Amino acid sequence: MSLNSSSIPQADVASRPPLLRLDAIGKTFGTHVVLEDIDLSLAAGEVVAIIGPSGSGKSTLLRCINQLEPPTTGRVTIGDTTIEAGHTPTRRELMALRRNIGMVFQSFNLFPHLTVLRNVSLAQERVMGRTREQADAVSMQLLARVGLADKAQQFPSRCSGGQQQRIAIARALALDPQIMLFDEPTSALDPELGLEVLAVMRELAEGGMTMIVVTHEMRFAENVSDRVIIMADGRIVEQGPSGTVMRNPQTERAQRFLHAVKDR
Amino acid sequence: MTQDMLLTMVSGVPWTIALTAVALLIGVVLGIPLCAMRMSKLVVLRMVANTLILTLRAIPPIVWLFFIFFGLDTGFVSLNPFQAAAIGLGLITAANMAEIYRGAMSAIHSGQSEASMALGLSTYHRFFDVLGPQLFRVALPSAASYAIGLLKDSAIASTIGVHEIAFQASHVSQRTFRGLDVYAVAGLLYILLSLPIAWASRWADLHLRARVAR
Ligand SMILES: Nc1ncnc2c1ncn2[C@@H]1O[C@H](COP(=O)(O)OP(=O)(O)OP(=O)(O)O)[C@@H](O)[C@H]1O
Ligand SMILES: [Mg+2]
Repeated sequence: MSLNSSSIPQADVASRPPLLRLDAIGKTFGTHVVLEDIDLSLAAGEVVAIIGPSGSGKSTLLRCINQLEPPTTGRVTIGDTTIEAGHTPTRRELMALRRNIGMVFQSFNLFPHLTVLRNVSLAQERVMGRTREQADAVSMQLLARVGLADKAQQFPSRCSGGQQQRIAIARALALDPQIMLFDEPTSALDPELGLEVLAVMRELAEGGMTMIVVTHEMRFAENVSDRVIIMADGRIVEQGPSGTVMRNPQTERAQRFLHAVKDR
Repeated sequence: MTQDMLLTMVSGVPWTIALTAVALLIGVVLGIPLCAMRMSKLVVLRMVANTLILTLRAIPPIVWLFFIFFGLDTGFVSLNPFQAAAIGLGLITAANMAEIYRGAMSAIHSGQSEASMALGLSTYHRFFDVLGPQLFRVALPSAASYAIGLLKDSAIASTIGVHEIAFQASHVSQRTFRGLDVYAVAGLLYILLSLPIAWASRWADLHLRARVAR
């Protein structure tokens, strides 16, 4: 596997209709402005890395996309579901949105009282209406795909951090999402365990999954993603093809950030 | 101590168990909506729940039982002593359970709720499939020690004439003019009843506690 292969050629990506669109997303907590005027559109199969200093609003942006945090202004569109800030979305709209968006957290957030298999099967049964047999069959396939079929009957506490994160990825994939959001999926892991998670993510990207990855892994941003977005102070300060942005940033703010993290 | 006296005292055991069990059941169930109200986003609901919880916990149980048995009885409803005691102790237990649940809730990592929502689980499934089972496990030790306390508190039901252990003990001691051994036996019965609760709770705690996310 070549480290420099981008999953999909850039021209190909740009010509497709967007799968996800953010228009003028803003978020304030009280008087604290955390996101300001974020526009973003994502084509099917595109892999976008979001990098930026701590507190720049990366996590908040991801959480606004699936409405874990309702944006203060703007609009999120995925497929034919549009959620407008200020209007409380109906339960049906929220379900449609969240079914189509898988999310992987820094702290895994597996359900500790359920076996690995039940972790992956639960939402398939409750949200998609699959029977237990159907769900378990799908879960076993996904667990095999992340290399953990043998852990199916264990409880999460018996798995390493890297294994838990791969299970969390399988759990999110189980709903057949169109888009996967990753919020620093390897930050809580030892470098070695992080690698096994990154390998799974790279495979997903190569398989054509549309992904937004908030990460501190500069090599992943440069080598796996098609596009890199640099955020600072709640805004997008620079974005473009990963090679260009990472090696040749144009704005002063982006240069400063990349200089600060270049050794990672 | 004659066999007859002993039998009379033991006849109180089923009443003590029944009263404790019914009050606990009422409390465990009613504690859920009370806790939900207490943690609601609506100020009105929160205030109602706070007032209820404070009132139920601040007034001594014996006053509640008198209030329910003698107070309500003069009006339209007619309650037998057991019903009055079960309702009184049940409501007090509900207030305490609501607080135990609330404490347990804060012990569960917020990521559990977020992961459930991100997976599209409804509020119902989020509670019953994800948070509820973990809450149960976290709340179990406090709930068990509350249950042992309730078992002992059920003795105050003797004051309104429920034929439980303390009632029988005072009955026997008045009839026979013996206090020491009669009340020692009563104490022993309470100990015997609380042991299984403590054991079950310790066992469950050991086996379940690891499976909660904090
Ligand atoms: N629930 C909240 N209430 C108030 N402020 C919040 C909340 N969540 C986030 N913030 C603030 O929003 C800002 C952006 O936070 P966010 O977590 O999105 O940053 P980040 O880019 O993900 O940082 P990191 O790299 O450290 O994860 C921070 O200043 C944070 O304190
Ligand atoms: Mg973050």
